[in-house]
Amino acid sequence: MSKPLLTTLAAACVLAVPALAHSRQVTLTTQLKSYGGDGAYLAIYLTDAKGAYAGTLWVAGGKAKYYKHLSDWNRLSARDIKRLAGVTGASVGAGRKLTVTADLADALIDAGYEIRIDAAVEDQRDSPSEVRVPLTRANASQPQAGKQYIQSLTYQLQ
Amino acid sequence: MGWKAIHRWLGLVLGTLAMVLGLSGALLAFDALQQAWQPPATADDLPVAALVQRVQQTIPRIEEVRRLPSGVVVVYSFEGDQARAVRVDPADGTILGPYQASALPRWVKNLHRTLLAGDTGRWGAALTALAMLVLSGSGLALLLRRMGGWRRLGARVRGTLAQRVHVVSGRIVLAVLLLTSVTALYMSSTTLGLVSLDAAPEPEVASAVTGQGERAAADIALLRQVTLKDLRALSFPDASDPEDTWKLTTHGGTTWLDRTSGEPLATQPAATAQRLYDLALMLHAGEGAWWFWAVVLGLVGASVPLFWVSGVLIWWRARQDRPHLTNNSALAQADMLIFVASEGGSTWGFAQALHDALVRAGHRVHSAPLEQFQAGPGARQVFVLAATYGEGQAPAHASVAALKAGAAPVTVLGFGDRQFPAYCAFANDLDALLRERGWPALLPLERIHQQSAQQFARWGEALANALGEALTLDYRPRLPATTALTLVSRQDYAGIDGQNAAILRFAWPAQSAWDRLRGRGLARFAAGDLIAIVPPGSPVPRYYSLASGREDGFVEICVRHLAGGLCSTFLLGLKPGEHAQAFIRENPGFALPAGRRPVLLIGAGTGVAPLAGFIRRNDRRVPMHLWFGARDPARDYYFQPEIERWQGEGRVASVRTAFSRVPDGGGYVQDALRRDAERVRTLVAQGSLVRVCGSRPMAHGVAEALDDILGPLHLSVAQLKARDRYAEDVF
Repeated sequence: MSKPLLTTLAAACVLAVPALAHSRQVTLTTQLKSYGGDGAYLAIYLTDAKGAYAGTLWVAGGKAKYYKHLSDWNRLSARDIKRLAGVTGASVGAGRKLTVTADLADALIDAGYEIRIDAAVEDQRDSPSEVRVPLTRANASQPQAGKQYIQSLTYQLQ
Repeated sequence: MGWKAIHRWLGLVLGTLAMVLGLSGALLAFDALQQAWQPPATADDLPVAALVQRVQQTIPRIEEVRRLPSGVVVVYSFEGDQARAVRVDPADGTILGPYQASALPRWVKNLHRTLLAGDTGRWGAALTALAMLVLSGSGLALLLRRMGGWRRLGARVRGTLAQRVHVVSGRIVLAVLLLTSVTALYMSSTTLGLVSLDAAPEPEVASAVTGQGERAAADIALLRQVTLKDLRALSFPDASDPEDTWKLTTHGGTTWLDRTSGEPLATQPAATAQRLYDLALMLHAGEGAWWFWAVVLGLVGASVPLFWVSGVLIWWRARQDRPHLTNNSALAQADMLIFVASEGGSTWGFAQALHDALVRAGHRVHSAPLEQFQAGPGARQVFVLAATYGEGQAPAHASVAALKAGAAPVTVLGFGDRQFPAYCAFANDLDALLRERGWPALLPLERIHQQSAQQFARWGEALANALGEALTLDYRPRLPATTALTLVSRQDYAGIDGQNAAILRFAWPAQSAWDRLRGRGLARFAAGDLIAIVPPGSPVPRYYSLASGREDGFVEICVRHLAGGLCSTFLLGLKPGEHAQAFIRENPGFALPAGRRPVLLIGAGTGVAPLAGFIRRNDRRVPMHLWFGARDPARDYYFQPEIERWQGEGRVASVRTAFSRVPDGGGYVQDALRRDAERVRTLVAQGSLVRVCGSRPMAHGVAEALDDILGPLHLSVAQLKARDRYAEDVF
């Protein structure tokens, strides 16, 4: 059961732009700690320079009942009726790795945007904003540690 | 499809899954029990502000404080980069120890919820919960029918050990099983997204960044106001985010508070669905419930395998008892039709004998269950064999809706047990209905008591005469497996007119629990039950009332020789060390219920045997009064030395004898009763139970005498019978 979970899917979020525009593919790799618990629910999303919600990149975990435990994302994205469109997958087991890709407009990079991850595990504490990392060229390929469940988040810009 | 079929097939098909859920649920109940067992310091009236102040002194960088339904207070915090969760004592804020949600491995909970098969498994578990609900509901319907309604639900359960286990445990845990199935279904429907728990999207809130210092929890009005008893969770504002807020969740809902001003920013009441969910969780998982409820849930979960095993055994036995008809003609071709209404399947044995006899006589015979009742133009004779189940109801599957008017003669043969007030009630009703609708009859209604082969053979003779054909009903009862009993001792009585008698005592053979569960070996018995002896050279058993119970550790009967009687000759010829083949047959209604009501025991001749058995085990010294009629104290006063000893020990309060063959002996036992009329009236007025055992004429005489005696009380034997206070064992 230690096989790393490899989910590669183009995230069709609001930030995806037509291929002719200036865009680039971002690959996000999230390595979970062996926290000893059931599979983690994760919401990976973007906020803008003012901290406002800008789009959802990925939601791991399929039960809407538990989304309230991803509380920051759940609150910020409440008005985005397409927040789950094409960007959901299974919850991520302890110690496993989640890899997702998204097409992001060039204009979002080095523009004050932030990648955030909310995490929650059953019978354990919720961890909203488990990871917050500015979306910059400098931060690319730099592993960022999470507060509780995430060993590291690394994103690569293509 | 009736309740029985639903119950049987659902149980057989989904029983194993239910067993998995039951056992894993029983394990999970330990968690709830453990939580309920660590009683937290009672600080329910402590304001949340005070609690925060206390824990902040011992724990830095707190993220959240939760009060679990069990009352345990858990604090989530960071120590460096390491997340921690500890239990704290709300009284002083000291750390009691690390907090773990469950002491069990996680797979137990996942097995219970998903059968370890992910989302498909969740549907499987929900389906099993639905099956449990239907099983419980159908089980209740069957239980009520078996016991004869709500009022009789507590009555003694009869049957094989498997049946007793199934019914008795059902009686105890059914309500809880129903409750756990309903709550499981609700919780499943929220998880599967069929019911939404969310009231509304959470409001967008942010603390105003003013540059002023942060307000301490102790100074926030709402936190001073809300007490620990109402708290579910309090999330602290994040140190790195100046706009973050307090989030206070109580049983009533959620409130967000500004970190600078401490004022509420928004409030959201808890959704009704969420409140229901919390209630369901408490009832189902015992979280936050009294520890006793967790114990109940655990035991109920553990009882599921018991139901499954006993249920499968019951089904297997019924399957083996199914009839195997040969030469069954199609309905259209048959000239003789036999319809059977039988609950346990025993009546099919008689149907088979009738079927075979008619086939041998050259008829084309069609046998079918009663619900298929119809008589075409080719039918010359129709027979209905109808058993009465329990307290007079029709067997489960028998329907009389199809009984339209008809012309072919229909003869009804009823099967039942005189012990029940509604003896052959279903056959009686059926016969009346048929006549009312204009069906003629070849023979009047006949009732067979306790599946008597002799009575059935006599009916066969009457049938042969009526048909004008040679017809021999060769009924071979399908007997339960017999057990060889070894005679240990015998006490002989000379008797009168050459009718010698003996009290025979057999050793009680030991048997394994597995045999008992399968109904093998000698069944559990008590004084007043019957033992069937199968004499060599005859397939037909003879029944004797037992003078001892399982607790006595031996099997004792009193046998009088009948001229030409195969079985009594055999038994009275037995020497110690020799064997007799026997099985137990219960005698419902005759056994004494628990209680301290006085008992009138009235017996004559060997009929004293079960009464002696009652007295022997009267360890609680219930006031028992014996009236015993015999012929000659020197020849047939059975159990005399024992009865005198028991009187000395207080096991029997009074003994009256009457001897009919000696001068001034007192006549018959009913004469003795008449002489004691005043005392009998007093005892009956006190609510006494009455048990009568002896010959049919004697029982008749006793009933007449008692009707006369009880007249002034405006009571009759019939009324006492209807109230389960009067029972007879006659032979």
